[in-house]
Amino acid sequence: MLSTRLLTKRYGSLTAVEDLDLEVSAGELFGFLGPNGAGKTTTIKMLVGLLRPTSGAARVAGIDIMAEPEKAKARIGYVPDAAMLYDKLSAREFLEFSGDLYHVEPRLRDRRIGTLLKLFGLEPRGNDFLSGYSRGMRQKVSLAAALLHDPQVLFLDEPTVGLDPQSARQMKDILQDFCQEGKTVFFSTHILEIAERMCTRLAIINHGRLVAMGSLQELRHMVGQDGQSLEQIFLELTGSREEDVRAILRGLES
Amino acid sequence: MAGLVSGVEVGLLLWRTQLRMFVNQTVRSGKPGRIVGSVIGGAIILVAWAWEALITGVGVEAAHRFRAPVDATHLLSLGFLGYTGVLVFSSLVFSLNALLLNPDLDLLLAAPRPVESILAGRMVLQVIRLFLLSLLFTGPALLVLAYANHNPLIPIVFSALYLLYPVFVVVIISLMSLLLVRIIPSGRGREILTLFGVAVAVGINLLNFLLNPALRDAGIARRSGPLSLPDIPGASAPWLPSGWAGRSAAAALGGDWLTAISWALVLLALSTVIFAVGTRLSGRLYLAGWIQAVPPRRRKVGSFRDGRLRGAIPLLSPLLASIVIKDWRMRTRDLAQLVRFAMPVVFLVVIFGLRFPRLLSSVQGLGEGPAAAMLGLAPAWVLLFSLSISLGLSAVSLEGKSMWVYAASPNTTRRFLQGKCWSAALPTGLLVALVAVVSEILIRPGWPWAATAVLLAIAQAGSVTTLMVGIGAVFARFDWTDARRMMHPAGVFIGMALFAVVTGASALLLGISLALAGITHFPVMTTWLAAMTVSVGGGVAVAALSLLIGNDHLRGLELG
Repeated sequence: MLSTRLLTKRYGSLTAVEDLDLEVSAGELFGFLGPNGAGKTTTIKMLVGLLRPTSGAARVAGIDIMAEPEKAKARIGYVPDAAMLYDKLSAREFLEFSGDLYHVEPRLRDRRIGTLLKLFGLEPRGNDFLSGYSRGMRQKVSLAAALLHDPQVLFLDEPTVGLDPQSARQMKDILQDFCQEGKTVFFSTHILEIAERMCTRLAIINHGRLVAMGSLQELRHMVGQDGQSLEQIFLELTGSREEDVRAILRGLES
Repeated sequence: MAGLVSGVEVGLLLWRTQLRMFVNQTVRSGKPGRIVGSVIGGAIILVAWAWEALITGVGVEAAHRFRAPVDATHLLSLGFLGYTGVLVFSSLVFSLNALLLNPDLDLLLAAPRPVESILAGRMVLQVIRLFLLSLLFTGPALLVLAYANHNPLIPIVFSALYLLYPVFVVVIISLMSLLLVRIIPSGRGREILTLFGVAVAVGINLLNFLLNPALRDAGIARRSGPLSLPDIPGASAPWLPSGWAGRSAAAALGGDWLTAISWALVLLALSTVIFAVGTRLSGRLYLAGWIQAVPPRRRKVGSFRDGRLRGAIPLLSPLLASIVIKDWRMRTRDLAQLVRFAMPVVFLVVIFGLRFPRLLSSVQGLGEGPAAAMLGLAPAWVLLFSLSISLGLSAVSLEGKSMWVYAASPNTTRRFLQGKCWSAALPTGLLVALVAVVSEILIRPGWPWAATAVLLAIAQAGSVTTLMVGIGAVFARFDWTDARRMMHPAGVFIGMALFAVVTGASALLLGISLALAGITHFPVMTTWLAAMTVSVGGGVAVAALSLLIGNDHLRGLELG
């Protein structure tokens, strides 16, 4: 469903993502983890066609995103980390616009909008301008827009930021249902607990390079310590161990 | 006193930070385009300074030869009074911007400093900016005056006055803004600023038309005879700061050190007292009531407004119609955007409204024919200029940070640009056509001429607006937070220049067609229609070219 081969993005002398090889199958809920500035957002932006890779290749839903971007984008749903929406549109109007952008037939579009607004608990505020929405509500509108055209692959960049626990749980259920239909979710997060509970497989990226990929069990084997939490594995693989953090904190105190 | 000192300290800190940001964005940006732009900007300033110095030198020489009886105190006081108007406007905009729009206020207020020192720091920053702007505009003239009069006091006293004079205005306006802010709901600052801007623009223009002796006479004919300075007796009154500044400046020009410093000291005393009191008051006002939390407006479900735009637009694909409707909603719901529609009407009223009856009778006096029909297009031309610049140039940038919504969708940039052309050209074309039809009905140049003139107006509205959309795509900005920064200055400049070229060439062609008809004895309508065809064809070709370039530019867009 999704594959990258030696995917690289450079900004002048800065290499944001380097030689990234990923393979994600249909029906997977794939977690993409990494510290701040590791290259997660850059990778997602390349996979959804917002950034052009410096080199390498990426296929989404079997389509080369660089060669046929429009065809690939029709099969992609994307939720950015900070969803900038049109403030002076209502949620319903924004979803209508989004449906038209993705060529959803108007009657089907309106039916899906009603369902999605209900699903996300936004129906009572559906006609209010987005400028009055909280960050979590905007995130929900953004996710609803991403689901509106029934994509095969859903990319989410930090989807749980700004969501209350109830909404985060709701999102988790929605994503799992989505995957059960044979579709793929690719999401980045900082909240390792969520990734641990939700994802079928994980990839960890650091300084733009893939450091590990596999199921949680496979990652545990990789670091050679069974029974470790994802947090411990993450810290181990990204080189930011607890002792190091403590040493830095001691340095600050002295 | 501590708050006062801390305020000055914060002001200097803010100024240093802004200067650093300016340098980082220009000469230290590492981007060749910006560096070249900075160098060109610097060169333009140097040329302007040289020109200003030359003009001043010639003026001084002339004044020495032909001694005109000028009351320097009154003239300079008048200058400072006029400057007060500029100060009021710029300070209000700056102050409301600082309080309502700039995102760094929360950051500053989180710092361990008294609130009043933060607010005072903002005032100091504004005073410094005004001081430097005054020096930028008049510095060379002051140096030439000092050299020509062998009087080094001139630039020193004027610099002191530039620094002191704005203080009372900035403080009073800042306090007024704080009071105003207490009644503005959170998030409505941009609208208030826009409304204020429109009101001031209309007010200034109307006052100018009503009071300016050069414009008071109706009709096209210009007033003959010598021009006189407006006479405002209160300007140099000894109880007004403008009178103090005027006296000090005049004394400096005359070489009277003692008088110059005395009046400057009076201004210094006033500025210090007002700044001290203002700083204290501003802190109290700010803490007294800052409306941060206002419940969002609830909209009625299924209202008439909702229902109107739910359908498709005839002849447009759902995608294009969707972009047109979305843009219409964005423009009409955001006051800052709505003004882009409103301002052209204001221009029309200001330019034609007061003189309309006389202008109409002058044009009607030309009788039937192409000349009257063309002159009848003047209001439509003004409208087209304003709308094509404001709607066309901003069409692509209107997306702002929401551009990702379109970029992530399965559509080409060509379709996006097509949608933007429709969204800008439809309202422009409709309004231009309406104004052209009304003008031609009033002028009555004969229906064939009127009809062709209206057709020309519509065709030009379409092609010129499309041209602007293409230019707007090349100079697109998606990172703006303030609608005023939506359009790139270079884009506006090129857009205006190309508007002048396209419409000027069109007018020239039509003029040539009339001359040709006279020389060759061809029917005027034949040459007229031929010229129209060439003119419209040329406009369409230029517009298509700009769209191609714009599309090429957008295809290379990366939303990092």
